[in-house]
Amino acid sequence: MSPRTFKLILLALTMITLGLIGPYLPPKWATTVTFAQLFAIYAIGWDVLSGMTGQISFGHIFFVGVSGYTTGLLNMYLQWPLWVTIPSGMILAMLMGLLFSVPALRLKGPYFSLVTLILPLAAARLVIILGDWTGGELGKFGATPLCPIQQFVFDFRLNQLCNYYIIWGVLALLAVGLIWLASTRIGKILEAIRENEEAVEAAGINPAKYKIFAFAVSALVVGFGGALSVHLNEGVFFNALLSLTASTEMIVASVIGGMGTILGALWGGLLIRIGEQGMRDLAHLSGFTDLEKWATFFFFALLLVFLFVARLGLLPLIANLFRRRAAVRKES
Amino acid sequence: METLRIERLRKSFGGLMAIKDLSFHVDQGEILGLIGPNGAGKSTVFNLIMGSFRPDYGRILFKSQDITGWPTYRVVNQGLARVFQIARYFPHKTIYENVEISAIPNEIFQRAENTETKTITVCKRTGLCLEENCQGGNGCLCRAQWPGMLPQGGLRRLEIARAIGTEPELLLLDEPFAGLSPQEVDEISQLISDLRSEGQTIIVVDHNMRGVMGLVDRVVVLCFGEKLAEGTPDEIVRNPHVQEAYLAGGGV
Repeated sequence: MSPRTFKLILLALTMITLGLIGPYLPPKWATTVTFAQLFAIYAIGWDVLSGMTGQISFGHIFFVGVSGYTTGLLNMYLQWPLWVTIPSGMILAMLMGLLFSVPALRLKGPYFSLVTLILPLAAARLVIILGDWTGGELGKFGATPLCPIQQFVFDFRLNQLCNYYIIWGVLALLAVGLIWLASTRIGKILEAIRENEEAVEAAGINPAKYKIFAFAVSALVVGFGGALSVHLNEGVFFNALLSLTASTEMIVASVIGGMGTILGALWGGLLIRIGEQGMRDLAHLSGFTDLEKWATFFFFALLLVFLFVARLGLLPLIANLFRRRAAVRKES
Repeated sequence: METLRIERLRKSFGGLMAIKDLSFHVDQGEILGLIGPNGAGKSTVFNLIMGSFRPDYGRILFKSQDITGWPTYRVVNQGLARVFQIARYFPHKTIYENVEISAIPNEIFQRAENTETKTITVCKRTGLCLEENCQGGNGCLCRAQWPGMLPQGGLRRLEIARAIGTEPELLLLDEPFAGLSPQEVDEISQLISDLRSEGQTIIVVDHNMRGVMGLVDRVVVLCFGEKLAEGTPDEIVRNPHVQEAYLAGGGV
């Protein structure tokens, strides 16, 4: 079985599970899983650039912000419909990706990462300076809701599930697209760049060109997620669009799931958001109110322990188990 | 016909003149040996040709095209490839996938062409895959082996395969026999003469004259960044300047 088929089967299982459990989730959990799926979009977007090529970006939330503020502000001030503002946001995020990738990729290793970290910091300043317009740190409410049904009937549950399945559908599409991309020769070259950039150049391939391409695709995917989040939240909110915590959590998601595997990043993204909420619920159930404060801390401590056990992440761990079983079967 | 022409190449690092007004040429179909004691500037010449360094002065002409200072990938696409002394490979890709990267064109949006046949051909030709278990393409050993499994000689083969995969008109071999066992030296030597008989133009760098003398048509001797002598292997062995430079260090 090719790695692509293996990943697509596991992806199908994941997405079918998410699709089936949707209607049975209690309201709080339906929202949690919706946002977990949204975060998984960010994580797979990050993984295309940083996971696959090894150029670690600390500031991918910048593209969420660019796309989110673009779609939100165009929608709120000019009353443009979603299907125009969302693509506008994505395209602007991609253009920003192209614009900054050219100088940023001249830098290697930690220097590249530092430059990417400055982008969301600068954007955050800009949002606050233009606070009259953007709502600053408080944010601004009033964007068109993501689910079109809400304009006709208002039913909380229906609306919630509608949002759930829109994000579900986009995540599934993007994941299939990116896993396919990873299996093409473009994907092979991106992985080769991570392993040995000089050897790629010696093979007559311009690594810069491929890294810029990966940067643009990555910004486009993450920007898609950012634009959806604005309409999911029905407004532009600083903490959702330019949070440095979310920016670093994208890295954690990809590392937990398996860097550069796309599917691993998707799992990691879901796991972080669902796990955090799960720990909080568990703590709540235990009856000790003090424990609830510690839930996130314990969750990240658990992730740390997991990384000590499985350094390469969840997907490589599973793939290795399968490979070993197949090898044993062959011998017997 | 001239394939490569080096004209008055000069390169210094800080105060050290590594290459001083070096000129030589390579004709199509010949094997040129570039030899000299350690530190003579042989690898620097390769670095200048391949675009790793920019020369301070002078020109590099490949098929009459001035390629001085071009980035490595463009030089490679023009038809030059270099085999490094220390293999540069992708440790997490199979041997097949390592060679495949060289067969892929540098175009993101070009329609995919079949790189498989090309890759398998190169793997067979360099002995990374054996003919018998490689009939259907999928049974090839190189698809189930990683570079980490290869001995020193195998890594050199992989390095040569990655270079040939780019379909070079001129192949630069940097110390192809360094660190190999006597048997591996014979095998690689055989591979190089096979390539030559197929019409491949080659420059071989070596500090050890004995290794290359039987292989090359013509020799350029470098000493402290300058051309000391040029000629057929016989002329070079008899050249008193070369004997002095080499025998002083006990080379020949």
